[in-house]
Amino acid sequence: MIEHSLGEFEELVLLMVAAFHDKAYGVLILENLEEKLGKKVNISAIHVALKRMEHKGFVTSGYGGITKERGGRRKKFYVITALGKKVLDHQYALRTSIYQQIPKISFG
Amino acid sequence: MKPHPPKYALEFLRWFCREDYLEEVEGDLMELYDKYYKQSPARAKWKFTWNVILYFRPEFIKSFNSDQYISPTAMFRHNFLLTYRTFKRYKTSFFINLVGLSCGIACALLIYLWVNHELDVDKFHEKDAWLYQVMENWEADGGIRTEFATSGPMAEALIEEMPEVEYTTAVAPSSWYGFSRLSLSVGEKNIKAAGQYVGKDYFNIFSYPLIYGNKNEVLSDKNSIVISEKLAMKLFNTTEDIIGKVVAFQHEQEFMVSGVFKGIPHYSSTQFDFVLSFEILKETRPWVTSWGSTGPLVYLVLKEGTDIQQFNDKLKGFIKKVKHDENNSRMPFLQRYSHHYLHGTYENGVQTGGRIEYVRLFSFIAISILLIACINFMNLSTARASRRLKEIGIKKVVGAGRKTLIFQYMGESILMAFFSLILAMLVVILFLPHFNQITGKELTFGLEQKPIVSALLIAFCSGVIAGSYPALYLSGFKPLGILKGKLNASVWEFWTRQGLVVFQFTISIILIVSVWVVHRQIEFVQRQSFGYDRENVIWFDIEGRLKENTDTFLSEAKKIPGVINAAATSHSMIKHNWSMQGMEWEGRSPDDKTTFQIAGVGYDFIETIGVEIKEGRSFSRDFGAESEKIIFNEAAIEAMGLKNPIGSTVNLFMGKKEIIGVAKNFHFESFHKELKPLFFVLLPHGINKIMVKIEAGKEKETLEGLRNFYETYNQGFIFDYRFLDDDYQALYVVEQRVSTLAEYFTGIAILISCLGLFGLATFTTERRLKEIGIRKILGSGEFRIVHLLSGDFTKMVLLAILIALPLSYFIATWWLESFAYRIGLKWWFFMGAGSIALLIAWFTVGLQTVKAARINPIDCLKDE
Repeated sequence: MIEHSLGEFEELVLLMVAAFHDKAYGVLILENLEEKLGKKVNISAIHVALKRMEHKGFVTSGYGGITKERGGRRKKFYVITALGKKVLDHQYALRTSIYQQIPKISFG
Repeated sequence: MKPHPPKYALEFLRWFCREDYLEEVEGDLMELYDKYYKQSPARAKWKFTWNVILYFRPEFIKSFNSDQYISPTAMFRHNFLLTYRTFKRYKTSFFINLVGLSCGIACALLIYLWVNHELDVDKFHEKDAWLYQVMENWEADGGIRTEFATSGPMAEALIEEMPEVEYTTAVAPSSWYGFSRLSLSVGEKNIKAAGQYVGKDYFNIFSYPLIYGNKNEVLSDKNSIVISEKLAMKLFNTTEDIIGKVVAFQHEQEFMVSGVFKGIPHYSSTQFDFVLSFEILKETRPWVTSWGSTGPLVYLVLKEGTDIQQFNDKLKGFIKKVKHDENNSRMPFLQRYSHHYLHGTYENGVQTGGRIEYVRLFSFIAISILLIACINFMNLSTARASRRLKEIGIKKVVGAGRKTLIFQYMGESILMAFFSLILAMLVVILFLPHFNQITGKELTFGLEQKPIVSALLIAFCSGVIAGSYPALYLSGFKPLGILKGKLNASVWEFWTRQGLVVFQFTISIILIVSVWVVHRQIEFVQRQSFGYDRENVIWFDIEGRLKENTDTFLSEAKKIPGVINAAATSHSMIKHNWSMQGMEWEGRSPDDKTTFQIAGVGYDFIETIGVEIKEGRSFSRDFGAESEKIIFNEAAIEAMGLKNPIGSTVNLFMGKKEIIGVAKNFHFESFHKELKPLFFVLLPHGINKIMVKIEAGKEKETLEGLRNFYETYNQGFIFDYRFLDDDYQALYVVEQRVSTLAEYFTGIAILISCLGLFGLATFTTERRLKEIGIRKILGSGEFRIVHLLSGDFTKMVLLAILIALPLSYFIATWWLESFAYRIGLKWWFFMGAGSIALLIAWFTVGLQTVKAARINPIDCLKDE
């Protein structure tokens, strides 16, 4: 499943795209990630992740309408695809199943 | 006021970022910038710049290969359509280009065919690489003279003593007998044909394919004759079953046909209709077996891999060795047979040139004419650039790259060139017969691969050359400037166009001068006084009954009305025939190597051709023992250094002779050669020609009378005479052809240059019509306007004259050096050529400017 591989940061961004269905775009994802992670994230990193996932077919994108904000530049909204959702589910299932195998360990 | 992000960072982003990502990236960055700006403007700026730098990574950098992929066929169709429309709209320049380029390409094609043929001559022999001719360098008259002839025994001696030699043959060429002058007859049928005597391996050496007969055996019998297919048809009406049939030769000897060869290809420099065995010549002309005489040509084939340098070193002393004579001045050497045709001129023993010079000259002319035609295209396209500005501007704005535009304009010129090629091929096919007549060749332009490929190549190259400058020039415009309607006509561009016109005219003027000089020189040579009168002199061979009864024939012939005089001679009066070294006289220095031409003649010869006697007297029947007398020319007396020649005696191989007269110098060879020492002696035997002087104005009757008399007197022979003057003209046939061709090509070059000038003038006047209108309203006269408009062109032509004259002077001097007797270069040749060019240019430009100057100002000013 190499073509469906998903990096850690990519997974976070993909989760964000899924969470903000239809409304996800660069700055929104950035702000929410920073909030959740509690650290600074670079906008270019988010764009790279988005472009890569778009290339892999996990997300699709489309322009919004022109507004006065952003100097008249359109926003580009990202939407998760079926494949992206499947990969996300798969990832989640995998982690959960392994997690459940952990014996109860006491750390004193 | 809205905060602005750092300008340079934004520009940088826009420069490198992929266009499909740019809007998103820029938008997000702006949003962030706005957000941070509220907190801290300085930090926001810094952050923005930093983010831009972080974007500078492969995922976001655009491809700098700007041309997008466009379907080639669509592009082609589009370009083709545009080209078609351009041609249709600007008909004048289209026709100027079409006519110019097709003339240029047609000339180039014709010259290509000619050059190709010249280069192919004699190269068809199978053993070409090892086929050599034995030549000789003679120490003579204080230098080295190169002779094509050698001694008859050379052939056999070489094959016996030199192991490197595979085959040899001695040849008595057909030119000895004036080409087509030997009689062959079968029964009643009588034919004159060109024949040569050759050794038995002749057909092994030269690849003239035999239809009948074996090439090893056809000449093994000395009584055999090998004839051409064509001759066989003439003699027997068939080529089959003629082996073994008998052919009478000169009504004296009989030969048996032993083989038939195919016609000699026209790219062979040796042309003949039949061959006889050299063995039979040894019987009829015993001198060909002597090492002391030269005359026969010797050809040989070396074994493959022979070191020619080494062989030549061995050959150098060969004659000294066989003659046991250390003082002999003859040094034989080998020259490639096929090399001979183009490189046939020797000076002081060194190969200096030959026809190859004409090959080079015409190649140069072809390239010049093509260039002139290409320049027309360049000038007209760039001059009309302003008409296409909008097109170029729009294309560039829509996104056409420079390469696309270059491709388009190149395509246009190449298409033009191919249109012209089609026309040029028609012209070539139409003019080829005439061209062949001028060049004396049998060139064909068929659908073979080589000429077609070359024609396409010529057209393609001229298309590329013609299109190169316009393509680079037009595609280089700045779209913003041209859409605003500003065209900065740079100084450079102006000069290029003028420079190209100057170049065209420079070449045209050089051609005019050259043609003029060639023409004058040939005229000079033909009108020059020879020291004798060759007008109305005919000559024919002494054959058959004439041989025994020459004197009776001559005295009878003189009685025919219209015959002024008649005499026998062995000298043709137009070329070298027979010469000797080693004459002895009083006061001769022992190492003297003066060569004397021998004119063996009969009584009345000197009078017949009108050579003047300067001192003493001519041969006369009134004195006894005239055969012991000798008459020298002035050059000979000078070379011998005799003070009182009359009465003194000289000793030569014919015995002692007393000098009775000195003849004034006269030219008996081509004007390429210096006048040489010569003497006349009376020869009792071995005279082979009769010359008859005929009264001017009565040629026809007199010749008829002579023919009747000849054919009754010498039955079986055809009265086959030639005018001495025609033979003389034939000496300059190469120069005459070159002159005629050069005249044509110069005419074409001038025509094409003028077409270009015409186009340019049309365009300039068109552009300045408003100016002319205003000038006229303000009171300018027509003459002033013509003067104004022609001024630029006059300057260009004057500059061209300035450049061309020194160049043409050098070229003319170089060409004239090949003549021993030549015209002086006069200043008015050059001034004349310059004036012609200027007049033609004025006339061409004038057609346009006068029209423009006469225009009613209302017509050109009423618009706007």
